[in-house]
Amino acid sequence: MRYHDPVVRALVFCSVIWALVGMAAGVYIAAELVWPTLDFGWPALSYGRLRALHTNAVIFGFGVSALMGTAFYSVQRTCHVPLALPRLAWFCAVAWQLGVAAGGASLLAGWTGGKEYAELEWPFDIAIAIVWVSFGVVFFLTIARRAVRPIYVSNWFYGALIIVIAMLHIVNSLAVPVTLSKSYSLFAGAQDAIVQWWYGHNAVGFLLTGGFLGMLYYFLPKQADRPIWSYRLSILAFWAFTYSYIWAGPHHLHYSAIPEWVQSLGMVMSLVLLAPSWATMVNGVMTVAGAWQKLKTDPALKFIVLSLAFYGLATFEGPMMSIRSVNVVSHFTDWTIGHVHSGALGWNAMITFGTFYFLVPRLVGAPLRSVRLANIHFWLALAGTMLYVLAMWGAGVSQGLLWLALDDIGELSFSFKDIMASMAPYYALRLVAGLLFFAGAVLMAANLWWTVRGRCTVAVAPPSVADAAGAMRGEA
Amino acid sequence: MRTLPSSWFPLGALFAPQCTFAELAAATPDPARILFKHILWLALAPAVFVFVGSSLFGWRLGAGEPLRLPQETLTLIAMGYFLALLVGLTSTAAVSRWMAATYGGRDALGAHLALVALVATPLVIASAVHLFPHVFVNVLALIPALLWSLYLLYAGLPTVLGTGPERGMLMASALVGCLLVGAVTLLCVSVALWASGIGPAIGV
Repeated sequence: MRYHDPVVRALVFCSVIWALVGMAAGVYIAAELVWPTLDFGWPALSYGRLRALHTNAVIFGFGVSALMGTAFYSVQRTCHVPLALPRLAWFCAVAWQLGVAAGGASLLAGWTGGKEYAELEWPFDIAIAIVWVSFGVVFFLTIARRAVRPIYVSNWFYGALIIVIAMLHIVNSLAVPVTLSKSYSLFAGAQDAIVQWWYGHNAVGFLLTGGFLGMLYYFLPKQADRPIWSYRLSILAFWAFTYSYIWAGPHHLHYSAIPEWVQSLGMVMSLVLLAPSWATMVNGVMTVAGAWQKLKTDPALKFIVLSLAFYGLATFEGPMMSIRSVNVVSHFTDWTIGHVHSGALGWNAMITFGTFYFLVPRLVGAPLRSVRLANIHFWLALAGTMLYVLAMWGAGVSQGLLWLALDDIGELSFSFKDIMASMAPYYALRLVAGLLFFAGAVLMAANLWWTVRGRCTVAVAPPSVADAAGAMRGEA
Repeated sequence: MRTLPSSWFPLGALFAPQCTFAELAAATPDPARILFKHILWLALAPAVFVFVGSSLFGWRLGAGEPLRLPQETLTLIAMGYFLALLVGLTSTAAVSRWMAATYGGRDALGAHLALVALVATPLVIASAVHLFPHVFVNVLALIPALLWSLYLLYAGLPTVLGTGPERGMLMASALVGCLLVGAVTLLCVSVALWASGIGPAIGV
């Protein structure tokens, strides 16, 4: 009996490819905001289409492939059994890649449902639902067949990811198809907006936060080679996180046509969310604090340390920006873009990079090809993220003041065009930041490729059940 | 063992950082001396620069005419900036001392205040750019200063606080997290004040 790790290796490989595709698209649209004629008049290269490709490739290609791969890897080791239904696991891995690739092509062709982070049209929505439910079947059946009684905390987070994303995706995608490439949402007006941001914010919550917390709770103790600082706190944080996140979506709709009490509820629950978010951050920081010796030899741990700092920043900044009197200035500015990227680059990408540097050498039973290259990647990623966030803070605050500036007779002082033109220097700075971050990702791809090239996946057998009970908390 | 670093040690950060780290590591600075002789002035300089710059030229946001505010408002903003920096610098030293227990660093408050002064110096010097209050020019000037400050934090902390390189890296990252949160807090409080009618007039 062996763990089914080849599917994990394939998913990690695809995730890296999507990271390169998605980040390249991001860099290109950043350049388009500086030099708008870079689309050469070709619709597929227009900002509107490439932006959707960028977000879909990084979230669903890079992010979900990484989550699916690490979930398959960790659920086997925390349950001490191989994956249930390995063929279905392969189906999930392959079908997901085909779906993202075909979906990306459809976005470039102009197919869009028009909902942010849910742009793909109805044929893709149905395909995503089928693959996602299959993912859930493999994951939960593996847990059901586990050889040890406790269910380790990472599996709670991965489980929440699977259940909540299925619920959000299916409800938000309910639509009336008109043609193969066009459908209309089942919801209308303000209701449609509420459903969309219930989906949109919880996709951030349960995929980009909850899913990656599953990754953190498994791989951080593994890398630190010590148990999580407080297991009890991790369980408490899980339930507090799951309960409070689901209410926070309406903060995307402040000062809109939705009822004011819904906006206030969204704001209050966003502030409450700070507690479980920081509980996890403290748990991570304290776990890694006791493993400082590992930093001498392990380049991956640095990424995890930094990812925790940016997780702390992003989960603090989000609740602050949900306060209505802050949001009135920050909304519709690049501050929001900076906030998203402090989370996406600083938290999601960094923790994934750290995990891949740890995981890939173990999958093939060989050391990482170049620790030096990984260290260079670390500094490129840190510099890129900091520069990105600072550029967008400067741009966002200036925009916020300019949008709202009134002249003596109460008319808007500046036109949209003038304000956007004045943002070009910030966008140039952001382009540099994106290039730095992308260059680091290219180094990682090469480093991982050289590490795995010509090597088979190591066959690992589950430990005996007698070893398992103590291992759950200590070594899971 | 010397108990006092030289009076100009923050400037040493610019020319001979390694020597300055070693000097601070060997010293046990008096907290009150560091506070009144260094931190106070480091917090005051940017506030004075911003007051003079915005009084003379007004803030340029990138589009249209510079934003000019009444002298009373500018005085209030400069005082608020000074207090925010003073509280920020001293509380960072306090947080650093609190963290030192976890990361095996020195307990002496003076050493933490001196480290904060050292790290803040490049940013304070670069804040002279506030004399020309154009937002993008300021962002552009402050970024290299910030990178230099980050270098001083990561390179200096292990020596000055005696944590060793690995634990120093962890502690420096934890402090960066705190400082980023502090920066966001400052940004959000400013915006909330604007929305409530204090500062630049906006149509809210």
